This record gives sequence, C-alpha cells and structure tokens, in this order.
Amino acid sequence: MPMPSPLAVLALIAVAVLVAGYRARVLIAAIARAPAAHRWDQPWQRLGFVAREVGLHRRLLQIRLSGSFHLMIFCGFVVLFSAIVADFGAGLFPGFSLHAIGGDTWIALLQDVFALVLLAAIGLAIWHRFVIRPARFAGSRTTDATLIYLFVIAIVLSMLTEAASGIAAGNVAGGWRPVSGALAAALTGAGLGADGAAALHAGATWVHMLAILGFLAYIPGSKHRHMFTAIPNIFFRPLTPRGVLPAPPEARGQVGISKIEQFTWKDVLDTASCTECGRCQAACPAFAAGQPLSPKKLIMDLRDRIMADAADSAGPLLGGTISEQTLWACITCGACMTVCPLHIEHVPKIVDMRRQLVEEARVGPGLQDAFANMQRTGNSMGKPARQRARWTKDVGFKVKDARKEPVDILWFVGDYASFDPRAQRITIAFAKLLHAAGVDFGILSDAEQNSGNDIRRAGEEGLFQTLARSNMDALSECTFQRIVTTDPHSLNALRQEYPALGGAHAPVLHHTDLLLELIEAGALKLKPGSGATVTYHDPCYLGRYNGGFGAPRALIERAGYRLHEMPRNRENSFCCGAGGGRIWGDDTGVTERPSENRIKEALALGDATLFVVACPKDMVMYTAAIEALDVRGKLAVRDIVDLLELAEA
Amino acid sequence: MHAAVVLRLVPDIADDLEISESGNDIDREWVGMKLNEFDDHALEEAVLLKERAGASVTAVALDGDGVDKLLQSAIARGADRVVKITYDELPPLPAAAAVAAILADAIQALGADVVLTGVQTPEDAGGQLAAALGARLGWPHLSAVAGVQPAPDGLIVRQEHSGGYATRVHAAGPVVLGVQSASQPPRYVSGSKLRQAIGVKPEKRAGGEAFAGPVAMVRRLAKPASGGGAAMWKGDADAVADQFVALLRERGLLKG
Ligand code: SF4
Ligand code: SF4
Repeated sequence: MPMPSPLAVLALIAVAVLVAGYRARVLIAAIARAPAAHRWDQPWQRLGFVAREVGLHRRLLQIRLSGSFHLMIFCGFVVLFSAIVADFGAGLFPGFSLHAIGGDTWIALLQDVFALVLLAAIGLAIWHRFVIRPARFAGSRTTDATLIYLFVIAIVLSMLTEAASGIAAGNVAGGWRPVSGALAAALTGAGLGADGAAALHAGATWVHMLAILGFLAYIPGSKHRHMFTAIPNIFFRPLTPRGVLPAPPEARGQVGISKIEQFTWKDVLDTASCTECGRCQAACPAFAAGQPLSPKKLIMDLRDRIMADAADSAGPLLGGTISEQTLWACITCGACMTVCPLHIEHVPKIVDMRRQLVEEARVGPGLQDAFANMQRTGNSMGKPARQRARWTKDVGFKVKDARKEPVDILWFVGDYASFDPRAQRITIAFAKLLHAAGVDFGILSDAEQNSGNDIRRAGEEGLFQTLARSNMDALSECTFQRIVTTDPHSLNALRQEYPALGGAHAPVLHHTDLLLELIEAGALKLKPGSGATVTYHDPCYLGRYNGGFGAPRALIERAGYRLHEMPRNRENSFCCGAGGGRIWGDDTGVTERPSENRIKEALALGDATLFVVACPKDMVMYTAAIEALDVRGKLAVRDIVDLLELAEA
Repeated sequence: MHAAVVLRLVPDIADDLEISESGNDIDREWVGMKLNEFDDHALEEAVLLKERAGASVTAVALDGDGVDKLLQSAIARGADRVVKITYDELPPLPAAAAVAAILADAIQALGADVVLTGVQTPEDAGGQLAAALGARLGWPHLSAVAGVQPAPDGLIVRQEHSGGYATRVHAAGPVVLGVQSASQPPRYVSGSKLRQAIGVKPEKRAGGEAFAGPVAMVRRLAKPASGGGAAMWKGDADAVADQFVALLRERGLLKG
C-alpha cells in the first residue's frame, strides 16, 4: 500500500471537515441566532482563570480517580497533537517533519510515553465506567462514551504501529522511541521484512489519519464536543457575584423563557459543552430526594431540544421538554454549579423557565399562597405587618425603631426569625447578646418586608422587585453604619441583590460575623462551653453563595466545643431543602427529604451530639427532620447563638 | 355583555380582633384590610366570562383607603376598566341597602347588564348586598352562585345548595349574582403584572344619593363565650394519639 498522496489527504480532510461542519451546523446556527449575553468584559482575568482551571484541573480532581485519568487523557491529547501535525504535515507537504524542533528526539519520546499514558487512562476510564459504574452516569449516553474510547484507542495504536513499522522499515529514527522501538523489535522478531514493514507503515499511516478524521467528524454530535467548547465555556463564565441572579433582559420582551430560542448563546454553549459527567446530579439534593430533577438531564434535554432543529414540532418547552415538576423541584442550592467542571449555569436557566410559569400562573397551591401572602402582607406567612416586631416584647429591654432614631447597626430580621416560634427563640437570644455587648442597634419594625431572595429564585421576579424596592426605600430613610441579619437568605439579597438593583452599599454582616467581632473585641465574654463534640451545617446562602465559612467555625471553637465536620462541608454542603421557594412547595414524590439525608450524615459521625446551624430556616427544617427520624435522644439542633453563654459579670 | 364586579375591602379576620369601645364594631386601627374572598371569586368568574364569551369587565368599588391598589390588582387580573365610586356620607358600619343605593346608579350609568359580587362578607354576613342591588336596579338576583356559563341568550347560572343539591338557572336578562365560588379557583397574578398595573388610575364616578330608609344595624359584638366542650389532652404523642382514637371510637367515627 502506498503512503497517502497529498491530494488524497487533502480530499480526506475536506470530507471530514465538511461532515463535521454539517454535523455542527445546527449548533452553530443556534449560537449565531441566539439572543445576546454580555460576556466579553475583563478578558485578561477570564483568560487567567481558564489557564488555572484547565491547567490545574481543580474541579475535576475533586473526584480523585476520574479527575486523574481525565488529566492523563488531556495531557495525552496535547502531546499527541504533535503526531497529528507531523502526519498531516507530511501527508500534505511531502518532506515536512518536526525534526528541526525535536520531532525525532524529545517530542518522539513524549509521544511514545504519552501513548502509553493515554492507553492506561482509557483503560481506567473503561474500568471506571463499566466496572465501578458510578451512579452519576445514570442517564448519560454510554454508546457515545464507548465510541470515543474506541476512537482514542485506534488513534493511539495506529500511531504506535506507524512509528514501530517505520522504525522496522528504516524510515523512522528509533533512538528516542522506547515503546515503538520495542514494538519494532517484536515485529522484526516475528519475521516482518523490510517490504512488509514499509507496507505496514503506509497502512498504519492511513489508519491513523482516518481514525483522526473520523474522530473529528464524529465529535460535533458527541459529548466530546467539550474538546472545543470547554475552554470558551469556562472563558465566558459569569463574573457577576454568585448571589446575584440575572434579571430578565429587556430585549426578551417577557419576564421568563417559554421558547428554546429565548436562551442566550451562552446558554446554548453551556448545553453543547456538557460532558454528561453527572457530577451535578450526584451533588443535587433534589435528585437525591427522588424528585424528577437531575441538573445533568435538564442540560441534556435542553441540548437535545436545541439540536433537534424542529422547534415547532417538538411541543412546548415548559411542560413538554422540561416538565413543570422538574422546574419546581430545584432548591437553587447552587451545588450543581459549584461542581460542574465546565462551569455550566443551571440555576439561571431553571429560574428563567420558572418565571414564565409564574407569569402564566402555573404555580402549585403552597407557593401560590406564599406569593399571595407576600403581595398582601410582605411576609410568606400572611401575618399582619404590625406583628413583625412582636418578638421584641419578650427581650426585656426596648429595641430601637431605626426609622425613628439613628442606630449603629441596623438589624434586618427576616420572616422566619420574626414570626416562626422555633426561630424566634434565636432572634430573642441574639438581641440579648447584642444588648449585653452594648451594641447600638435597631430594626425596621413593620416597614421590613420579606427580602425577596427566595421569591426571586422561585421565579416571581415582579414581586421580588416590589419587595426589594420597598425594603430599599425603608433602609434609605434610616441612619446606620452597618446591617446585620441572622438569615442567610436576607443576607444574600441585601448584600448582593440590592446593590445590583442600585441599592446602597452598606456593609451587610451575618450575625456570626458580628458575634465573632464582638468576642474578639472583648465586648462579649463567654462562659467556657461543655467541650462536647458538635457538627456544623453550612447554609447554602451563607456558605456557597457568600463565602461565610470561617466565622461560624471560629465561634464554635470560641464557645468551647469541638467541631467534627460532616463529609459534605463548606462548598460541598448539602442543602436542607428549604431554598428557592421549596419551603412553600409540597413533598409529593420525595423519597427522602434532604434534611433527613443530612441528619443521617451527622448521625453517622458517631460522636456529634449537637447539630449546629446558622440560619432560621435550618432551625425549622432540621428540628422537623429530627422529629421525623425519631432521633431526638441522639442529636439536637442548635443555632450558634445557643452555644454562646455569657460569663457571669 | 358587560359585567360589573363589585369589590369590597374587608377586615382580615385571620388577625386577632379586638372589640372597639363602642361595643358594636371591631377596633379597626390595627386590623389589616383585604379583598373579600367571595368578591375575589366574583372577579375570577367575570374574567372567565370575558375569556369565554368576550364580556367586558368593569370592577367597581366604593372609594376609600387602599382602593386604588385593589382596583389596580383587578386590572392585573384581567378587568378592562376600573371605577371607584365616590359618595358624600356613609355611616361607620353601612348596611348593604345603603351601599347598594350608592352603587346602583353608577352601575346603571356604566351600562352593565350583569353584576357579580361576593355572596357575603364578614360584615355582610347575611349576604344582603346582591339582593339589595337587585332591588335597586329592578333586576332579579341569584345567590350561592357556583359558576356561570354563557348561553346564546343570556347566562346559565349554577347555584349550589347544602346537601349536595345544585340548580341551574337560565337568566335571560340583566341579573345580579352573589358569587360563592368561581368555576375555577382565582388565578394567581404575578408581581410583574401587578407592577404594570400600578400606573393605572381608576376612574372616579359619583354614587347615588344615600339611602334614607330604615337599615339593619349592629348593636353589640361579643367574643364567643367559651363553652365547656373543650378537653385538654396531656402526655406524649402516643398517649394523645390513644386518647384521640378512643374518642373517635366512642363517637362512632371509627369501626372495629
Ligand atoms: S441548584 Fe441544587 S437543587 Fe437545583 S439543580 Fe442545582 S444542585 Fe439541584
Ligand atoms: S452539567 Fe456539568 S457537571 Fe453536570 S453533567 Fe454536564 S458537565 Fe457534568
């Protein structure tokens, strides 16, 4: 068999590019016609991030095994790209070689070594997918993955054979190619003559080129697209703070998304980049609870809908491609977005679709009641506004009304902390601590309304705007230096969402920050705690969304307790199940409540007797979970405030 | 078809209520006001008539605190037009007949041919407004309405009665309906629709002369006297559950 002629190579490349282009046309067209997303700001920062993220494989390596073999494959591809250049270069321009830059020395060595690394990595990947079979792959396309393994194996083996037969035929220098050299020796030993070797060399070169071009043509329809889309997708990731949910773009002309074409080009790129790795699904509390939501499946379904290229024949997007139950199941905990190696944005898509459901009044009864209550009274419980400050009657001193006199610290109390008896206890205890520390603080009293954080995430954008404006107006009429809240949801709205709406930029503290500050300044003196072992649950909107990991832990230590971390902590915390409006939804179809799953995790630690929280909703959710699991004797829920006992004066 | 819907703000009786010093009213200073629940259903039914039969819908309310917001929300719900009716004087606890006197002229002037309102309110517990409006307008009135269907020559009105009975009445001319429930639960109106409606300024119209005849009056309000029927169960959840089951059995609600 002769070596491929330049014309043949050119023709093959042309065919492969045409096929690849044809297969990618739907995606390219979808990106080209999709509405704008503004993602070109701060290009250098973006580039730097891409380099770090891809180079260090930070998110991928959070799962050790698959992260490692991905890194091996990634490096293998980079190195073997040189073989592609060499082969196609020589194929198109006879005489071309990488000799001048080390094609026969160090590059040759690298190619040989990384051929083995790649084979080993593919072996691991196959073992991982077909023997270990992690649950996160459920729902991913196995055939696609298998075909990719076969392509890679074909490419590597043909490359090795090409080099080995080249050495045997005397066309290729063998000095720097230990693996191909050994293979060449084996081939010669098996009786391969010079002619046979030359024929094998030509054949292997053909196979190598065909395998590469076949792979190229295959990629656009496969999850392996991420070879091309991952870097741009990470480059165009949102730079806005995590806690700010994008507002509906004016140009859309409607609040939510009801048609697939309304997703921006970045959304389309997101769906095209998903590798179906299932990390998001494994982290998703809604999925774990047996709800019909897998963030992976959601992205795959949107992608398939985009790729189907038959928008009108495919039925409705909402309630069709994506079911309403799927959309309402999300707790907006953000775990999916934190683990996705491609930095895909699941939550904004879910919320955009929810917004449309809300516009069309396709809302469950629990949520509808909460919305209607909030429209009427400014809180989800429908309590009269004037009862908001009723808890102040039980603190034993007068709590200032910040609307009437200036205060140093304005306390934004929040709905649960104001109205729910289980959370009120903490509110009162915190007020007493502030009083003891001599803090000059006040509240908005009945001018405070729900912060709107969860309402926004439940898709009720208009109501969020109304609540936010009302709170911002109330705040702007008071004089204060800083804001504090015990409620992470309010914290997120006040710290992140309101400034994005043009609200003032006063520092917003979580009560754990303020308490730590007071203790460090000596304003609060604590009684030494019991030394008991406790565990701590990071609330999503304090931890993952606002980076508040340190203060609660420092307080636990200062209070004299020993912290035993649960396996899922900090960024990887597991949501209690109350966020994003889910607290007002019903539990239909839930096989295991996220809060109960979490309590079991704490029980499995073996030695923790207190389950420490830092969010009023957690107090409510976990108290209920402990009752439901009937483990009252083993574990008790405490807010951090409960751990802080004042030393006798 | 032109449907007028009468909307009323009523005290939120989910709040803790106090009796005023006069003894014949509640202390209104701290009570929240909300749209009367049955009026909410009346509005929904009117909007359904609009959607099913192309009726035009005008929401009307007596002028007062919070009425602009109430009428704006009616626009967000689908009303075509909103009108607030001004008046010179009303007693503090106006009887339905007095309110009807003020509303009827304005409704007639609007050219409505069907009036929908809630069957009763916490303040009009006897459900007299629909009847009084009917009398004023000289139109028939139907109460306990649980749904209206457009018919070629008028409306088919469904009334629900106790004991599982229902009647269907064919109303061929103008009619006043006291709505107990709409044919489907009142729809949720999103915040963005409400925000859009904030710009709407309700029209103002002068109401009719105040009613001069005798009207019913509240003489005294009293908190319910606590009877001796309540028993407190003590003990843990299991013990309470046992007592509960025993009670159900004793009353014959549980067999076996
Ligand atoms: S935000 Fe949380 S609940 Fe929603 S899809 Fe992501 S992981 Fe699941
Ligand atoms: S969305 Fe991200 S984490 Fe989820 S399957 Fe796709 S690539 Fe993996």
